[in-house]
Amino acid sequence: MKKEEMVTLISAEGFEFVIDKKAAMVSQTIRNMLTSPGSFAESREGKVTFPEISTAILEKICQYFYWSLQYASGKETEFHIEPEMTLELMMAANYLHT
Amino acid sequence: MSTQKRRNFQIEAFKHRVVVDPKYAEKTWNILEHAIHEIYNHNASGLSFEELYRNAYNMVLHKFGEKLYSGLVTTMTMHLREISKSIEDAQGGSFLEELNRKWADHNKALQMIRDILMYMDRTFIPSTHKTPVHALGLNLWRDNIIHSSNIQTRLLNTLLDLVQEERTGEIIDRWLVRNVIMMLMDLGSAVYQEDFEKHFLNVSANFYSVESQQFIECCDCGDYLKKAERRLNEEMERVSQYLDPSSEAKITNVVEKEMIANHMHRLVHMENSGLVNMLVDDKYEDLGRMYSLFRRVPDGLSLIRDVMTSHIRDTGRQLVTDPEKARNPVDFVQRLLDEKDKHDKIISMAFNNDKTFQNALNSSFEYFINLNPRSPEFISLFVDEKLRKGLKGYSEEDVEVVLDKVMMLFRYLQEKDVFEKYYKQHLAKRLLSGKTVSDDAERSLIVKLKTECGYQFTSKLEGMFTDMKTSQDTMQGFHASQATNLGDGPTLVVQVLTTGSWPTQPSPACNLPAEILGVCEKFRMYYLGTHTGRRLSWQTNMGTADLKATFGKGQKHELNVSTYQMCILMLFNNADRLSYKEIEQATEIPASDLKRSLQSLALIKGKNVLRKEPMSKDIGEDDAFFFNDKFTSKFIKLKINTVNAQKESEPEKQETRQRVEEDRKPQVEAAIVRIMKSRRVLDHNNIVAEVTKQLQSRFLPNPVVIKKRIESLIEREFLERDKVDRKLYRYLA
Repeated sequence: MKKEEMVTLISAEGFEFVIDKKAAMVSQTIRNMLTSPGSFAESREGKVTFPEISTAILEKICQYFYWSLQYASGKETEFHIEPEMTLELMMAANYLHT
Repeated sequence: MSTQKRRNFQIEAFKHRVVVDPKYAEKTWNILEHAIHEIYNHNASGLSFEELYRNAYNMVLHKFGEKLYSGLVTTMTMHLREISKSIEDAQGGSFLEELNRKWADHNKALQMIRDILMYMDRTFIPSTHKTPVHALGLNLWRDNIIHSSNIQTRLLNTLLDLVQEERTGEIIDRWLVRNVIMMLMDLGSAVYQEDFEKHFLNVSANFYSVESQQFIECCDCGDYLKKAERRLNEEMERVSQYLDPSSEAKITNVVEKEMIANHMHRLVHMENSGLVNMLVDDKYEDLGRMYSLFRRVPDGLSLIRDVMTSHIRDTGRQLVTDPEKARNPVDFVQRLLDEKDKHDKIISMAFNNDKTFQNALNSSFEYFINLNPRSPEFISLFVDEKLRKGLKGYSEEDVEVVLDKVMMLFRYLQEKDVFEKYYKQHLAKRLLSGKTVSDDAERSLIVKLKTECGYQFTSKLEGMFTDMKTSQDTMQGFHASQATNLGDGPTLVVQVLTTGSWPTQPSPACNLPAEILGVCEKFRMYYLGTHTGRRLSWQTNMGTADLKATFGKGQKHELNVSTYQMCILMLFNNADRLSYKEIEQATEIPASDLKRSLQSLALIKGKNVLRKEPMSKDIGEDDAFFFNDKFTSKFIKLKINTVNAQKESEPEKQETRQRVEEDRKPQVEAAIVRIMKSRRVLDHNNIVAEVTKQLQSRFLPNPVVIKKRIESLIEREFLERDKVDRKLYRYLA
């Protein structure tokens, strides 16, 4: 896939998740980061670092992005969330405006 | 019912791990403030969105939203002050450009800032009812830039000057102006209206007031309208090019008022080029322009309509009352039709087929056609002429067109019964002389009359057609039965006419020559033999005859003459010279008819089969007539016209009128009785109104006549006056 269509999300621990821009833009915050006029570092480099989000959570978030895309296109499935992650996920969701 | 209540879960704010540094807020804000500076300085590429967003996010989360917000206001205001200065410093033409550039910058910066501060926009602002970041940015721009004392008037004047320049034909940078106008609109339509539109409209009003004054002094109406139209289109184009669409109605309104409404009357009545001249010269384009422009202003169309109406009425009145023009009825009607066509065309070409204009045209025609009491007669004569020969060679559709036009004139007539009277006479002559061009056309016209005026109106006319048809059958029967014993005597063609259907005036039969009399008698026997209980009387004043005559040098001619003329000519079989008195005695033709017949026999050049002494232009009672031996003609067949189907002479006219009046009486009475039968009691004025309403499809009854009829009905005890209220009438069953 072309590089421009991908974006790299980096967790607090430094793990990199390379996902579709389309999927990442499920988050309103990431969408703004990548589309805001003027060139912020993120949109130039295609890399976003989240120093406050752990790897496990970010992974779950990426899964959610893809699931959300599928769900929106009509596939009705459940998105499973482990109970112990709930709180941190909610915080991240608030932060990412998802 | 479920009594179970849902418990509201309160999720407490998450306690952040970060130990709250007392200087935390200060530090974080400094980072953000720095970022805002960088953004305004076009230096944002080094910034991390995530970091800024996170900082703003945390500030709001840690209840420093207020600090963040007020900090933003201060920082942005500071930047805008600087911008304002740089715009003020821009010289001359670069002013707008600078403003526009800075506006674009500000917009971009504003969007970046909003994105960074999105979390504040999302949570802090709605809960504290503050202005969202974007709107805040626009407001600050408005207050610091647009409403800054050094910019506000300068901006307005610059814009107005540009518009003025464009109006005087110069080219301006529309793109730039459009951007600035869009900026004003972005700041809110109130800003656009207050800071630009209001003044723009005022200046435009002044401009057009002055310009229209100049134009009207030096241009004729057509040119003026062209200019006004161009200006109007220019303004509309201006709006579509670089103003807000909401201004279109307002600015066109200004142009309409200044250029059209204020000069409307002067334009319409302009000497040598006003509305009347346009109508006369068929200036469809100018008229169309006038229509579309005047339609935009209140009372514009009614002004055109009124002037047009009075113009048509004037010309129409001249047309119908000019005795010169009334001399030839066919031309007279043709002129009316031309006039109607002309205005119909104008209305369809220039006035958008406006219904109100058509109505105005119709009422004008109705008005002036009825000014001339002879219009019904003339229209009938016109039809007569058309059906006799005018329509020869026309296609069926063309005939329909002509007939439809005639019907249209007919509709305007108030005295439709007078028309009927004349029409009947003319139709009778056409049928009897076999001169009608097309039976189909005749019938088509009658059908039209029927749909217009009902069965009653045409029943007699149709009766005439039926008579013609039956007569044909009768004649066939007659000839078949007489085939053996007629020999080579004269052939007789009889048309049996039902009394009442035909407009026959009882006239004394003349003495027919013996040869004819014999055949006539045979026909009488035949006819009365097949139909019992009928009476036949001969209408010698309406017939025609074909004669074979041999002249001096042995040349033979066939003469087509009227019955009267035939009787006269037959006398010359036995004599070469006859005096007027002798002819009168022998034939017993009524004097006026006799004179006319003789006139056409003896005085028309090329057809003078008789010779008269003394040679004079009129027939005198002492004249003598000779068979004209020396008569020559290059035609074998000769048609000798009696002076016929011309306009009625004065006494005839009087007579017809009188008969019409006479015929109206029973109709008025019938109407009165019909009305009273259903109403039982009614006062005088109401009766008059109702009668007029009932009869107006045929004629316009005179109130005096109605009064007389009422009196006559009272005399005959159909009605009585109320004993208490003398104005009331009662119906007596």
